[in-house]
Amino acid sequence: MKRLVLLAALALGACANPLGDPATFDNNDVELAVGNTARMGCSCLFVMNMDEAYCRAWVKASPDVAKMNIDWADKSVESSAFLSFAARARLVDDKRGCVLE
Amino acid sequence: MKALLFSLLSSAALAQTPCPTREAWPTQGWPEALVDTSAKATQLAALEAYAFTLTGDDAERTGLRTNSVVIIHEGKLKYEKYARGFTRDNRHLSWSVAKSYSSALIGTAVKEGLVKIDDSICVYLPEYVNSPKCSIRVKDAITFATGLGWQEEYEDASYQASSVIAMLYGIGHRDQLHHVLSHRQAAEPGKQWNYSTGDAHLAAAVAQRALAQRHGRDAFWKVLFEPIGTPNVVFEVDAKGTPLGGSMVYATPRDFAKFGFLYLNDGCWNGERLVPEGWVSASTTPSETFVQHAPEGQSTPSGYSWWLNIERPPPTVKERPWADVPNDAFSANGHWGQFIVVVPSWDLVVVRTGDDRDSRIDLNELAKLSYEVVR
Repeated sequence: MKRLVLLAALALGACANPLGDPATFDNNDVELAVGNTARMGCSCLFVMNMDEAYCRAWVKASPDVAKMNIDWADKSVESSAFLSFAARARLVDDKRGCVLE
Repeated sequence: MKALLFSLLSSAALAQTPCPTREAWPTQGWPEALVDTSAKATQLAALEAYAFTLTGDDAERTGLRTNSVVIIHEGKLKYEKYARGFTRDNRHLSWSVAKSYSSALIGTAVKEGLVKIDDSICVYLPEYVNSPKCSIRVKDAITFATGLGWQEEYEDASYQASSVIAMLYGIGHRDQLHHVLSHRQAAEPGKQWNYSTGDAHLAAAVAQRALAQRHGRDAFWKVLFEPIGTPNVVFEVDAKGTPLGGSMVYATPRDFAKFGFLYLNDGCWNGERLVPEGWVSASTTPSETFVQHAPEGQSTPSGYSWWLNIERPPPTVKERPWADVPNDAFSANGHWGQFIVVVPSWDLVVVRTGDDRDSRIDLNELAKLSYEVVR
């Protein structure tokens, strides 16, 4: 039941904040959560060179719904939540760090 | 006539303030003179009890959570300590310490004659040349004075109300310069002081465009990071390649200390000025916009994206922000408790990196206890 309430709340969040209000931005919390996890996770692992356990804790945000999948060979982090939200960040080089695609 | 010209040129040369001299410059690494742990046991215990004691629940990420402290005194590394898995080799996220870097990079561009701070930003960003945003000057971007209706909110506010979160992770992330300049013009440039990650992003974009003409895409490294011995600084960009100068610089604490040391030495490094004469002084003087337009509750004055330990002018606040630290101190400050503190009269640079999610280490206490260790 709790999960259902959470999903309903998130779905409402996705519909809120229509464009046109200059004081708000058309993002919902899940989009932001996966963007945060991908960007910060990539930088934590491949720029700060911290270990995976540390970086999983480093990126944790509210709502804590974003999964973090690491591609060590590609030096990238993909984050996803539910079925339709995803983001990816990749280390571009040793000067410019990670870019959220 | 030639004699007169020579005389005038000589006078001009003499009028320049010489760069400070040092026994050694830490380009290749910090000379070490670590404090005597026996003689300074009490002071070290006090510093470490304050800075390194977890005051909250680690799993819940609450309380003061220090990752490093580095102390430079009289040009030497006197103390360093790392915690929570960090070592001297790990870069750390700067958050808004990056703003001071972006300001310095504008300084390097001015020094090279590539930027004039009273120019419109559109001189350097020609794609906006027909935009009303052309009334914003370069100087406005380093003094939080663009007048943009920027909303500097973080995790503790509505995510949808935050210009920063939308820019870094949301709808604005692919083209962050566009996101910044899409904000409405809430006030005439120079007539509103509004702390803004967007303004610093704008400054870094201007610096990048100007410096790249001469130095290419690695300009920041060529004009600043490499000359001070910090070639491993990472300055992140967005998908369009625009540097994220308000928040996304990564460096080791020792390298952050070198940046502080540059400002401790009036912008000079081993006899060479990297920013114009007077730049550090202007950076550490309250900006005109701050003096005239900063909101009442903003008690710590700012110059060119550095925070200053002086009473707010006019002195509506009667105390310096960091009461136990001399009034010539200034700092670069970042979210979650990142600090580069520079105290010229103590010949001191203190770097602290941290992960304070729900609280914040007190800069006054940190600087005071650090000085007690090395004095």
